Amino acid sequence: MVEGTKKRNRIFDYFCEGDQFAGGVAWCAGCPLELTARFVPQVLGKNMVFVGTPGCAAPVLHGQNIGAWHKLAYMASVMTGVPSKATGLARYYNRIGQDATVVCFTGDGCATDVGFQPLSGAAERGEKIIYLAYDNEGYMNTGNQRSSATPLGAATTTTPVGKIGRGKPTISKNMPMVMLMHRPAYMATATLSHLEDFAKKLKKAQEKVKEGFVYLHVFAPCPVGWRINSNMSIEVCRTAVRTNYFPLWEAEDGKPGFTVEIANPKPVAELTKLMRKFSHFKEEDMANLQKAVDERYALIKNLCDAYK
Amino acid sequence: MVIKHKNIFKTESAWSNADEKLLCLDTGSWRTERPVVDKEQCNYCGLCALYCPPQCMKDMDDHYEADLAYCKGCGICATECPRKAITMVPEGEFADG
Amino acid sequence: MVSAQKGQVRVITGNAVGAYGAMLCRPDVVAAYPITPQSEIAELLSQFKADGVLDAEYVEVEGENSAMNVVLAASVAGARVFTATSSYGLVFMYDALQEASGFRAPVVMVNANRETPGIHCVSSGQQDLISARDTGWVQIIVENDQEILDQIIMAYRLAEDYNILLPIMVNYDGFYLSYLAEAVEIPNIEDVDAFLAPLKQQPERQKLVPGVSIGCGTHGMEMGYVEARYKHCQALERVKNKVDEIDKDFGDYFGRYYGGQIEEYRTDDADIVILASGSATGTVRTVIDTKREQGIKVGLIKLRLFRPFPAERLVEVLKGRKAIGVIDRSLCFGWKYGPMCMELRALSPEIGPTPLLSYIDGLANLDINVPHIERVIDEVSAAAQGKPYQEVTWIPMEE
Repeated sequence: MVEGTKKRNRIFDYFCEGDQFAGGVAWCAGCPLELTARFVPQVLGKNMVFVGTPGCAAPVLHGQNIGAWHKLAYMASVMTGVPSKATGLARYYNRIGQDATVVCFTGDGCATDVGFQPLSGAAERGEKIIYLAYDNEGYMNTGNQRSSATPLGAATTTTPVGKIGRGKPTISKNMPMVMLMHRPAYMATATLSHLEDFAKKLKKAQEKVKEGFVYLHVFAPCPVGWRINSNMSIEVCRTAVRTNYFPLWEAEDGKPGFTVEIANPKPVAELTKLMRKFSHFKEEDMANLQKAVDERYALIKNLCDAYK
Repeated sequence: MVIKHKNIFKTESAWSNADEKLLCLDTGSWRTERPVVDKEQCNYCGLCALYCPPQCMKDMDDHYEADLAYCKGCGICATECPRKAITMVPEGEFADG
Repeated sequence: MVSAQKGQVRVITGNAVGAYGAMLCRPDVVAAYPITPQSEIAELLSQFKADGVLDAEYVEVEGENSAMNVVLAASVAGARVFTATSSYGLVFMYDALQEASGFRAPVVMVNANRETPGIHCVSSGQQDLISARDTGWVQIIVENDQEILDQIIMAYRLAEDYNILLPIMVNYDGFYLSYLAEAVEIPNIEDVDAFLAPLKQQPERQKLVPGVSIGCGTHGMEMGYVEARYKHCQALERVKNKVDEIDKDFGDYFGRYYGGQIEEYRTDDADIVILASGSATGTVRTVIDTKREQGIKVGLIKLRLFRPFPAERLVEVLKGRKAIGVIDRSLCFGWKYGPMCMELRALSPEIGPTPLLSYIDGLANLDINVPHIERVIDEVSAAAQGKPYQEVTWIPMEE
């Protein structure tokens, strides 16, 4: 290559810290959660506290005895207590004038299921905390059981496919919309294929959290649970965006708007074929999932248009 | 009761301390395929480093190379490289693999 | 230490006293969720905050589990914290209670005792504190409104002591004390400051600080787990003497002594001893005075410290007595005896072969009244004279 054309990607400009984690940690090969965990502190800086829970993040976020896998301040929590613990921390740091970004880092199971009540409570109170949910659409750490975030028809170990069973019979909880209805200071969806979009949203989150509650919903496919080839997990993120399966949008002060708009969305079948959790799908199953995706997208689109 | 145990924690409760000990796994041993970067093809855009889950692509000033101590061999760098400058090569083909 | 100034005397409810007690200790973070019979504390602390009397972060949480999580995390960050609950609320905190003690967070909480779920019951009983017995907390039971106030102040001295660092639950009978207005001397806040000042001379506890590479709640692996649990149990052992020390300091300064782990009443020459706790002990004292006039040598042990259990002091008092009666306001499912009687039975080798009579009374707001206590004393007296006795009596079932 000619030297003059060698230019680093501008996403690096969003970084204010180096990687805070040990080189080798116990996340599976190709895991977008690992990328999320390493990406967030590089953008937000070291002056933060992670509050984490049992889940895929726990084996790395929490230490083992006196040893730690990363250099960040953190507090471990059971799944029912994350936003409340973050509330206690943020309130006290605020009281003593300690500058800090308190970040809840949980999976979708904690956010949408067992830890939902305190999340809703903290959002309603406008606590100055960032809640980041990495959405791998189920309980991946315990072996791929369904959560409220598991999509329609997906095969999991608790919604298996059998003689009668056709995967999960209900659509997923529309968590970003649920959180928008709390009217947080800032709400955004993000994923790992669109890192600059993600970085911008993190920077905005850090600013808006000074005013109130911030919710970030990060689509993070699980190569193992969803049965994706490990090299394809970023491509799955990208395809989820391009099929409108996972639209990238945000809402600042309650005003929703897309950050990435897809001119000609691909059919959702383009996404489902990249993994095996939908491999039992027949035409009708696919049509149902497509309908669910279309409905959800239309709802967001209508909202965004109304605020234009 | 004779206590022979020497304290693991300096604190009363269980706190980790990264200054005392940063844990690390030999994740390089998980790898079955190794990313090989074609320096000529690489335009140093850094997307491989940005997308790398363990963040183990080393910045070599004009190109990137995987840190083989930690690279798990997922292949994301090779898939995502816009110039197809990275090839995943089976570990068996290397003398040190 | 010189004596404190005379405080202001006001006639207020046990709940109001709880709120005053908390406010006087200048907490940094308060979180509370209303529940009968505790709600007045949540309301009053909010009012204190609205009036500018309470300078604290007050979090009106969406449930008790969050109340405990908020205060335990703030405590780990270095805050002085307070919360209050009762019954179902305490049960809803169960996981967070264990994190609070496991994280060694010096949380102070008042619990207005009430029956627990299973049979819906909005009335007094100590089943809630029994349900939380094995959560690693320090549990103290008080008798009257003044003691609620004084014990809250003492609880901060105990919880935040560098050699203790444990959460403390101050229990008082819901309904009986929560709504009972009594004359209470409210100390001056400067005197409370002075009483708590020795904590400032101690080394700082480990605090969670952003930007510092430390983590609270690491996995306890094998010996790490064992060590942390061992330290926790050792700290609970240290609580016992510390409670006595703090009680003496408090009495020397404020002029009110409570006996520390246990309070004895007319036990010196007693042949028989009744063990009870909470608001009922006032009635027991009255009956003891009457029985003493009739020549029965009976005394009372008011159990103040339930966890850790004050084994050594109880053995010291109970050894050689001719019979013991225990009144429990709760149940020990799977054992026929009441919970406090069960605890005492564990000390049988040290106390010696004395008749030990278990009485279940005062459940569901039923009074532990004078005739009930007379009956207890008469039966324990008879047992002391070698007559046959019934091991366990559910008093209301036999009426």
